[in-house]
Amino acid sequence: MLRRLIIIPISLFFVVAFSYALVEIMPGDPALAIAGNTANEREVAIIRAELGLDRPFDERFVRFFTDIAQGDLGRSFFDGQIVSHEITRYFPASVEIMVLSLLFAGLIGLSLGALAGYFRQRAPDSVARIVITALQAVPEFLIALLLIFFIFYLWRWAPAPIGRLSLTDTYPPVVTNFLFIDLILAGDWNGLRSTAHRSVLPVATLAIGTAAYFAKVARATIGAAMSSKQVQFARACGLSEFKVLQYALLQARGPIITYTAILVAALVGGASIIETMFSWRGLGQWGLQAILNKDVPAIQGFVIATGSFTMIVYLALDLVVAALDPRIRHDRG
Amino acid sequence: MTAAESSPGTLRAHFGLWFGLTVITAMLVAAVFAPLPYDPIKPNADAVLQAPSAAYWMGTDSIGFDVFSRVIEAARRDLPLAFGGAIISAVIGVPLGLATTLKGRASEIIMRGLDAFQAFPLLVLAIAIVTLTGNRLEMVIFAIVLIETPRMMRLIRSEGLAIRESRFIEAAEAMGARPRRILFVHLLPNVTGIILAQTSIAAANSLTVVAALSFLGIGVSPPDPSWGVMIQAGARLMTSGQWWVSLFPGVAVFLAVMSLNLIADDLDVIFERTSR
Repeated sequence: MLRRLIIIPISLFFVVAFSYALVEIMPGDPALAIAGNTANEREVAIIRAELGLDRPFDERFVRFFTDIAQGDLGRSFFDGQIVSHEITRYFPASVEIMVLSLLFAGLIGLSLGALAGYFRQRAPDSVARIVITALQAVPEFLIALLLIFFIFYLWRWAPAPIGRLSLTDTYPPVVTNFLFIDLILAGDWNGLRSTAHRSVLPVATLAIGTAAYFAKVARATIGAAMSSKQVQFARACGLSEFKVLQYALLQARGPIITYTAILVAALVGGASIIETMFSWRGLGQWGLQAILNKDVPAIQGFVIATGSFTMIVYLALDLVVAALDPRIRHDRG
Repeated sequence: MTAAESSPGTLRAHFGLWFGLTVITAMLVAAVFAPLPYDPIKPNADAVLQAPSAAYWMGTDSIGFDVFSRVIEAARRDLPLAFGGAIISAVIGVPLGLATTLKGRASEIIMRGLDAFQAFPLLVLAIAIVTLTGNRLEMVIFAIVLIETPRMMRLIRSEGLAIRESRFIEAAEAMGARPRRILFVHLLPNVTGIILAQTSIAAANSLTVVAALSFLGIGVSPPDPSWGVMIQAGARLMTSGQWWVSLFPGVAVFLAVMSLNLIADDLDVIFERTSR
């Protein structure tokens, strides 16, 4: 385990160095590229000083690291906001959409996968395999558009994809930055209902998009577990088939937890296109906008935030998997 | 794996492989040879937002572009980008992956570096790289290679490490074969199937990346058609019911990605891979 912990600062160093390298790969004078064609000499000089481009490379690099160690990610070039504040403001929304989508994705995916794994090589398995293969091949933004067409345009079951609150709803007082929690704390039940209704399309998009991963891993592991000695024994003991499937699921928990962790990490910040399409205003949408604006401090903040978050999730994953499986001992590895 | 799953050769056993190869070949042939009914980059202002009909098989978009002509024309751009990216990733990733199977501190450090690298949302990373380096088409390939090479390396490494434990490698080592000979003469032939399968998967992923990038207007510039650009052109129309503008290029991406994944799945079965 000690070994695992030593890797963390090294990985963090890679993450920060990488976010730094992003500015270095900009061709020509980054300050000019950021400022755009309409900027005057003074504006370009300010950005250059802000990036530290007027100082030598090693000094710049060290300063970048010391600033970040103190939690100072700088200010956005675009709107002057403090980057670390922006991250804490947008992060919760991304967590909300991630938790909701994974909940539904897990439900759909695990049921589909369990069905396929249980009826291995039979009709339900073939159908499930076709569904999984098809789902894996649809880009998420296409799922979003199809859902918008059917559920919003054709059937009118969901409101227009214009954000988490309607134009007439008022934002609750900010306590946690988690909109759902803030609405509950404010006792704004109409707002809560409206927000839940507006979450249907984006959550369904990501749930359908990620369900295939759950289904695939559940099918494989449960399929294998069904032919294991443990299941044979459970059957020999005369347990009900439902109970048997429960034991099989228990065997499959390791891979399923691993996939969940990967998706948890991937969806925070990684769902930027879907967040943008539905104006979810999460970390992903903020980061994507920063990239399109060439807003260097914001991009670096985004890279560091998502990179560190992923590392924390993977560390937690290792701890959970080790706790569940006593055969894994990290200190001996 | 059961006997039915692994019996090679017959069309029924490898439906996915044949289906995938047929679709991809058809797309490539269409991209190269198919006569286009209309000019894909010259809009017809008199035929705006026409529903699919005998004259316009897949309808027209809000500028008056013929969707069918542009779906075909886009394949000329998107497929070579994706295949090019996937093949370059294999060419770089395979030797590097094999090299990391050699025991030593260097390979350990390389793999840890890759771990850190993979901690990012890779699609967002691709977007950042292409945007910051000046939004050029070549950079799309660079971004794909950056994403896919580590995956290739990781896979080749894990397969290679498993095969290294075999008796014949031990024998080769006992006979005094050098590391380079072991890697390229003894290990490489045993991972060919995995390389083929993973390249197919990489091409499928690349196609999704290209579609996502161009959906955001990154890498390609209008009016040049790309499936992602076309899907974006119809995105707003989905809320007003003109489904065909986005759907047909979307189906093209879907078919191509699914075909490449099916090819990879069957290759895995045929070459009886041991691990992933």
